[in-house]
Amino acid sequence: MSMLDGWWDDFFFGLVTVLQVFSVSLVIAVVCGLLGASAKLSKSRVLRGIAQAYTIVFRGAPELLVLLLFYFGMAIALTQVVQLFDPSVKFIDLPPFWAGSIAIGLIVGAYMTETFRGAFLGVDRGQIEAARALSLKRHQIFRYVRFPQMWRLALPNFGNHMLSIMKDTALVSIIGLEEILFVAKMANSLIHRPFLLYMTVALIYLAITTVITLAVGWLEVRANRHLRGAR
Amino acid sequence: MSFDLSLIASSLPKILQGLGLTLNLLAVSTLFGLILAVGILLMRLSRRAWLVWPARAYIYFFRGTPLLVQLFVIYHGLPQFGFIRQSVFWPILRDPYWCSVIALSLNTAAYVSEILRGGVLGVDKGFIEAGKALGLSKFQRTTRITAPLAVRLALPAYSNEIVSMLKSTALASTVTLMEMTGVARTIVADTFAPYEIFIAATIIYLVLVWIIQTAFTLIETYTNRHVRKI
Repeated sequence: MSMLDGWWDDFFFGLVTVLQVFSVSLVIAVVCGLLGASAKLSKSRVLRGIAQAYTIVFRGAPELLVLLLFYFGMAIALTQVVQLFDPSVKFIDLPPFWAGSIAIGLIVGAYMTETFRGAFLGVDRGQIEAARALSLKRHQIFRYVRFPQMWRLALPNFGNHMLSIMKDTALVSIIGLEEILFVAKMANSLIHRPFLLYMTVALIYLAITTVITLAVGWLEVRANRHLRGAR
Repeated sequence: MSFDLSLIASSLPKILQGLGLTLNLLAVSTLFGLILAVGILLMRLSRRAWLVWPARAYIYFFRGTPLLVQLFVIYHGLPQFGFIRQSVFWPILRDPYWCSVIALSLNTAAYVSEILRGGVLGVDKGFIEAGKALGLSKFQRTTRITAPLAVRLALPAYSNEIVSMLKSTALASTVTLMEMTGVARTIVADTFAPYEIFIAATIIYLVLVWIIQTAFTLIETYTNRHVRKI
């Protein structure tokens, strides 16, 4: 491990970057998932069609391809928008952090759409009817009745999607974001210990995914606490 | 914004040159992965701790780390050791194709063994008890009762895993392989028209996903033909 002396701080900042990408992607994924699920369950045929196309494309295309499309494609789009205002601008680089986070968020959001849709359908109709009978407003029904009960059903899959987000963050190194895999590549070009370095990256990921798995397990126990002792 | 539809059409044949390698990676890794998965499944289901724990550790490691990192450990990492460079396996471990196949197979084996385990655990105990009552041996019960029923239960999840594998083959482009994503990246480097080229590649992947899903729907309909409503 003394081989890695002098690189631990780089790995640490790489880890911070990974966690930042993870957090931003998670927020985007949950928002996309909730919007997508609402669209799929709505009465509007247009919204259903859009949500359907979204899930088909983002669940069918390779993550790497989506990431590259966003990184290079959005840079061009952004440049052209800015050139409308300032023609002297030649090229604007979209930060890999945002391209990566948005791409991963949209991909996993497509999976979450399906999870949330299933979970919303799993909430007993009677609960919603009861809430209406109590004259709760639409957003109140969502906030106090549908969401909390949907959440419990969605948790196991939601945990798996969090793991997917975490593992997809490794791809962001390909577009040049300085996360842990990128740090390992850089360190390797100097100290030439590829196995040691990439294995360190693997173990860091293993540690984070373990924490996520344990946390989701705890949340599941908590979400199902009303069932404890019933059987 | 310039968006050239004709460029999508003209780049499709070029990207399709990588189709063969993509399908090759998919087929070979899926086959190796399945064989390995059955082995791990048998270890995981045994009652001997020295068989169960290595299987659990394997599944834990390969499901808990990104495939890209696994690929880098195998392709860039293993040559660090002199004994690997001198071994008979060196011609294989030097080759990006075989390294990709190894990484994809090892990775999918962990997922598939868990999918199959879900199938085995889902088999109704009553069927196995019925088999015992009929005097079938343990081997007969496994091959004639548990295995067919488990496969049927595992099929939907397995089809998702194949789709996921197809998408994972794109990572082979990071170790210089010219499969579809690799070809697309090269064309983008030449033309700098990322939208058109990557969208063309995405369209091909979506068609492949559709073919895989349709095939599995047909297989599932066939295996569930006894419950078909008349």
